Amino acid sequence: MTQLSQINQIVLPQSKWDEIVSHCRRKLAGEFLAGESKIRRAYGILAGTQVNGGITINRVLPVKKNARSVEPLKSYMDTVMKKYAKPSKTPMGQRGWITDPLELKECYEACDKEDLQVFGTYHMHLIPWEDDPLRDTPTVLDTVLAENSNLFTFIIAMVDESKPSIRVFFEGKLAEEVPLIIDH
Amino acid sequence: MAIIIIPFPFRKHTDKLREIQVDADSLADCMKTLIKKYPGISSIQDHPDLLSIFINGKLTKAEWNTVSLTNEDEVSLIIPIAGG
Repeated sequence: MTQLSQINQIVLPQSKWDEIVSHCRRKLAGEFLAGESKIRRAYGILAGTQVNGGITINRVLPVKKNARSVEPLKSYMDTVMKKYAKPSKTPMGQRGWITDPLELKECYEACDKEDLQVFGTYHMHLIPWEDDPLRDTPTVLDTVLAENSNLFTFIIAMVDESKPSIRVFFEGKLAEEVPLIIDH
Repeated sequence: MAIIIIPFPFRKHTDKLREIQVDADSLADCMKTLIKKYPGISSIQDHPDLLSIFINGKLTKAEWNTVSLTNEDEVSLIIPIAGG
């Protein structure tokens, strides 16, 4: 099996891309599921299979809970965000996402049961920045939080909600983008 | 033998293995043995506050040397994933 850092292509079936976009749009619309953190941001996990140096995403697992306000995770996130997050009008405590350990454990168990490998996470960017108007690249904070994660960071650019786009970076590193094909 | 469930991102350190069987009487012994066998996985302790340990599905926050393990106890290690 190829190390994830050596993967040369990722295939995302159209149906899975539709699932990701639906998740993002639902959260943006303020429609929340039972037990879901009431935050207008989407975060999720992507799993699939690996063949011949490439991977195919077969499963989208939207993450329900943001443990951002739960100690000791809150203190860790506060420290990292104070150092690396770009200034914003949004209060620091409402920025950033960290998975609930129990939910993540259940997610891993579901993937193991289906013989799928967890390859990465996705989250959306909404607000255009002067130096990144499309917001389709990882921020410094994304890179720091994905450091040594051995996972891909899938950025869903939703600056124009009607035209979402996606790019993928190994461990959130701008220089390590991986070609992604949406398979129609 | 206790069974340790390795979280996905750390399986690169355990020859892709999901489960590792460890002969240990306590959680402290269990972690020590795991790291001795697979040194790369020691990075799971880089941020001790982030490491959650579930024993047979229940989260434990006790000191590792006070947690006894018996045969077939399942120890799941979880490091949360974070994003901006």
